[in-house]
Amino acid sequence: MSRLFVLGVSHKTSPVALRERLAVKPEALPETVKSLAEAAGLDEALLVSTCNRVEVYGLAAHDDAPERVRAFLERTTGPGSLAAHTYERQDADAVRHAFRVASSLDSMVVGEPQILGQVKDAYEAASAAGVLGSLLDRAFTKAFAVAKRVRSETGVAAGTVSISSIACDLAEQIFGDLRGRRVLLVGAGKMGESAAKHLAKEGARLFVLNRSRERALELAAACGGEPRSLSELASELALCDVAICSTSSERFVVTMELMKEVVRARKYRPIFLVDIAVPRDVDPRIGEMEGCFVYDVDDLQKVANENLAGRRREAEAAEQIVETETRAFEEWRRQQDLKPLIVGLREHVRGVLAAELERTLPRLKGDPTQDRAALERMIDAATNKLLHGPLTALKAAGERGDAAAIDAVRALFPLGAETSSSRRDPEAQRPELTPARGKVGA
Amino acid sequence: MLRCAPVIVPILFGVTALAYLVASGLFLAFLLRGGEALGRAALGALGAGTISHLVFLVAPALSAAPVLALDIRESLAVGSLLVSLAFLVTTLTPRAPSTRLSVLGAFITPVTLVFFLGAGLHRNVTSVPEGVRSALLPVHVGVNVLGVVAFALAFGVAVAYVVQERQLRQKRIGGMLSRLPPLDVLDALGFRFIAIGFPLFTLGVVSGALWAVRLDPDAPALSTSQLVGLLAWLTFAAVLGLRVGAGWRGRRAAYGTMAGFLCTCLLLLGYVFRDGSGVGS
Repeated sequence: MSRLFVLGVSHKTSPVALRERLAVKPEALPETVKSLAEAAGLDEALLVSTCNRVEVYGLAAHDDAPERVRAFLERTTGPGSLAAHTYERQDADAVRHAFRVASSLDSMVVGEPQILGQVKDAYEAASAAGVLGSLLDRAFTKAFAVAKRVRSETGVAAGTVSISSIACDLAEQIFGDLRGRRVLLVGAGKMGESAAKHLAKEGARLFVLNRSRERALELAAACGGEPRSLSELASELALCDVAICSTSSERFVVTMELMKEVVRARKYRPIFLVDIAVPRDVDPRIGEMEGCFVYDVDDLQKVANENLAGRRREAEAAEQIVETETRAFEEWRRQQDLKPLIVGLREHVRGVLAAELERTLPRLKGDPTQDRAALERMIDAATNKLLHGPLTALKAAGERGDAAAIDAVRALFPLGAETSSSRRDPEAQRPELTPARGKVGA
Repeated sequence: MLRCAPVIVPILFGVTALAYLVASGLFLAFLLRGGEALGRAALGALGAGTISHLVFLVAPALSAAPVLALDIRESLAVGSLLVSLAFLVTTLTPRAPSTRLSVLGAFITPVTLVFFLGAGLHRNVTSVPEGVRSALLPVHVGVNVLGVVAFALAFGVAVAYVVQERQLRQKRIGGMLSRLPPLDVLDALGFRFIAIGFPLFTLGVVSGALWAVRLDPDAPALSTSQLVGLLAWLTFAAVLGLRVGAGWRGRRAAYGTMAGFLCTCLLLLGYVFRDGSGVGS
């Protein structure tokens, strides 16, 4: 019987140096997953590659398929290099893992939205490469539905957790639409630059102030802003809506004295001062002045931590959803496994009865067409009645995962090899009486 | 149907008051706890209350020829309906300045409820005697009602501004902060309501003064209610003037709006509990 498995490395099991060697570029995904499926002898395959994980989902009849996948991956990292860093899950655990990954429960930042898009890319690539069979197709279609359910029914994606996004959210709480708002970036700190870019992406106009004119020009070009000299700080503060301060100054750059003038010039129009510098650039007492909202790096980090803690709390509810959906998927899969056996049983019983019909029909003295129609109806009814009890018990055994009972049925009836491993062709043909009918007609 | 209209009126009053009470509770719960379902339920309850309110006003006219009483109770009944309608229109219009305006119902619906309950007090009050009626009276009452409606909406927005500003200052991120509209949107909306209400209220004050002088030229220069009305007018004039002239906005403008509206409420309260017709400036 074919087994579903996942084998991979993630931020939890491997260093970034290893993951970056394994990472596959999006444009190379279809070709790589096809080569992988061929090399490892997989019936179905799907390769997820992000900066935090590289993992292969596969379906194969042979037990050493995960080992072959590992060997394929080690072509880039060296033999034996992955043994200590890979994780492997089988069947229901592999499905659960796929659901958790798509729902961002296994992400470095729980609830981050990018992973779902990356898994969808992997699904498209496997489909384009022709290695996405019915089982992985079903598993990942379900994974996308589970991810959607988790996002809509829990708060796992609620609240922003990056400093620059939080600064942007707060600016929106004060000003609403940020399009056309003036954002002042004071200093050249990396985090400040990131926050300013975030605001610029929302349509804000960016002005970059720096002690060095060259650095201001350079930063302005990088962020899509306009350079200004640090001597223009007071006049720019009077005009801007948001000021992001991230200088390396040892003293306050935005002082009480400066802001008293600025606030008067602004006529108490609100200003949002984001102080990401350590030591701080903005005198914290300014936060008490009318129209001034001052948030330092600790305030923003506190919000990030609260949001992250909230997401973790919500993750418990999300795990429940994943568990329920995993059980439902496994039940569906067991039913799919039983389908060939059920079809085979019906075929066998009906075949026996049909053979007896063919032997008996010539000896009957009535109208052969009418007799055949009546006896075929009888065969259908007899097949149903004979198999009602055994099939109900078989389905129950399937739901329980009782392999012994299923094997006993296989042993009792000579159903043929295809009923035990035909997961890839579950829709077996119903036995037909047409050839026999042809014979009679002739 | 026409005959039973007077019987229905007290029932409609009770249903309307109950709907406004439920809507106020739901809006408050929505503000404090969030949840889209609560927000929708609150808007639904307010919508039901508004329809019931409209029927409450129209029903008596079905049984007899409509006569404008032009007293304070009728003004409050019409005014509270207009507050509710204006809020629903402002919130539900596709061109609303923010998608989060519905939460303002937590501050505006209680005002609607209080005005409506005020309209129900002393229902048997006599309407304005024929002798003191004048062409100026409907103008005086009409523009005053419209002015007070705009001020009631501005008041709700101002309270929301103060709450939102405090949340931001105390760095209480999430919760109420994320449900209330942005500060700048509240500030601009409050200004717009005052800019609409002030000219109407001014016209109401002027027409009232003219009518009072015509009614009794020997009356004292300023009665208590006239003094309170003038105080309300001066407060709103200051809020508007300082905003336009000196650029005052934000918290100061919000407190000014709240003070002006409280003066207006004092004025209305004086009329409600005053003996007689409740007419006069």
